[in-house]
Amino acid sequence: MAKVLVIADIKQGVLKGSTSQLLSKARAIGAETAVVAMGHHIESLIPGLVNAGSDVQYVADDPGLELFSAGPYASCVVDAARQFGANLIWFGFSESGKAVAPRVAAQLDVACATDITDVMLQADQIEVIRPAITNKVLQRIKIHTGQLVAVVRAGAFEATEGISGTENIVRLSPPATDLKAVIRQILSEAGGEIDLADANIVVSVGRGAKDQAGIDLVKELANDLKAGFGSTRAMVDAGFIPHYKQVGQTGKIVAPTLYMAIGISGAIQHLAGMKGSKVILAVNKDPEAPIFNVADYGIVGDLFEVVPILREEIRKIRS
Amino acid sequence: MKILTTVKKVVDVELNMHVRDGAIVQEGLQYVMNAWDENAVEVSVQLKENHNAETTLVSIGGGEDNTKIIRRAFAMGIKNAVQIDDPALAEADSFVYARVLQKVYEKGNYDLVITGKQAQDTDNGQTGIILAEYLGLPCVSNVIAIEVMDDQHIKVSRLGDSGTEIVELTLPAVVTVDVAINVPRLPQTRGIMMAKKMPIDVMDLAALGTSHDEVGGGGPKSKIVEFIAPETRKTGRKFEGDAAEITAQVVGLLANEAKVL
Repeated sequence: MAKVLVIADIKQGVLKGSTSQLLSKARAIGAETAVVAMGHHIESLIPGLVNAGSDVQYVADDPGLELFSAGPYASCVVDAARQFGANLIWFGFSESGKAVAPRVAAQLDVACATDITDVMLQADQIEVIRPAITNKVLQRIKIHTGQLVAVVRAGAFEATEGISGTENIVRLSPPATDLKAVIRQILSEAGGEIDLADANIVVSVGRGAKDQAGIDLVKELANDLKAGFGSTRAMVDAGFIPHYKQVGQTGKIVAPTLYMAIGISGAIQHLAGMKGSKVILAVNKDPEAPIFNVADYGIVGDLFEVVPILREEIRKIRS
Repeated sequence: MKILTTVKKVVDVELNMHVRDGAIVQEGLQYVMNAWDENAVEVSVQLKENHNAETTLVSIGGGEDNTKIIRRAFAMGIKNAVQIDDPALAEADSFVYARVLQKVYEKGNYDLVITGKQAQDTDNGQTGIILAEYLGLPCVSNVIAIEVMDDQHIKVSRLGDSGTEIVELTLPAVVTVDVAINVPRLPQTRGIMMAKKMPIDVMDLAALGTSHDEVGGGGPKSKIVEFIAPETRKTGRKFEGDAAEITAQVVGLLANEAKVL
């Protein structure tokens, strides 16, 4: 029987949705489940780990784990994986996951696959599907080691309603500090913002917004919808938008229920970051913009004219 | 400071790609330097210019296209190049690449290894990190700034999940860089002319002092069984005309048809 260890996705003290999505998938394939959580003062998250569908909770709660550091985090995952006897070790899609997964695989001397969108188990054989070459192809990969460390693409697995695990807490000993890579501080993103990775609706702004006034207009639409607010490489490079809001191949990959691309032409790098969204709305002046090729609904028009009407119509329909 | 910079030849992702019988159709493909590796070359050259770093590039692969990207790195300002060209590496995975790079590193006594954070042909993002594990060196991935503190320490900024992480690294170390770190320079005519005459140290695995088996080539941890064309999204409906009218119509569809509002 497969044994899946899911790495709890904890961001600024909050347990993220990917944890229950990955555990749901693990239960759906009939696997035994465990979760490993790392951080400091994370005791209050344990009930959430159980509710997310884990039957064993490996917890490393230590001051040395307060700030993310790939080395110590990897040690904890390796420790939990060995204790649990995991053959599948799954990270949610995150920068920390992408940094830690290859380390864990190297330490366990097993295969590593990043960005997987599906996993197939047959007897002892593991296969995965993942996109490559900026989403232009999918690879089907056969895993030759009995174990696999994987980073699961955002939105690949859905959380099942009403599942729950059982509480069975195992404390991990704190890992050694990485004295050669010392995390000094984290310059945090603005607080109170809706996390792109978790948002049900994402509103993104592109070059069509031209300047700060245009960006603010689109941001108001995002605020109305309580949506995550994203943007494109071009806007980040132009200094309008901070890096962490960039949606695309080199930024965040998102798969919300509704993605609104406002004034975005649709470069392949951007499409690679949002093509997995359930429904896509595009607003663009140029009827030939490539974004219309992936949009379910396209409005050809000037965003300065369309966005205020969009806000008004949404207000009407929601009231 | 001695820097080892890795550069990979990748398929040009701007071109269309087709899949036939489980494989990528090769006709019409072109090969370029991996975009993230261009950033790695640029930051290495900047460290040469500002801190007298000694720059060496390593590239695994053969053929004219590979020589071309090495010459491009020379033209950008890299001084030395090692090319590992061995047919046994044709199907190497990240772990095998990391073992080969480990051998190259061990020959050169380097202080800093700089790689792109991932390669555009696989989008794996593993090799640099696995290399650091094999070498037992500290490693920071997704780096957007490098500051030299002294002979033994650098301070790097990394794009993390909750913001920009500031990490102090004791050298030797490995960093993998993101595109946000810089804008790679375009090679100038003079550099391109000089690059043509610069020597490339070409080696096969035997010359590197290793073998296919030793780098793990005989038993890959995973293998691509087939390539599949991704499902394209069905093109939806595009509305043109009076802004007020079509916007109201689309909002109605989002709410009642797609049920996402």
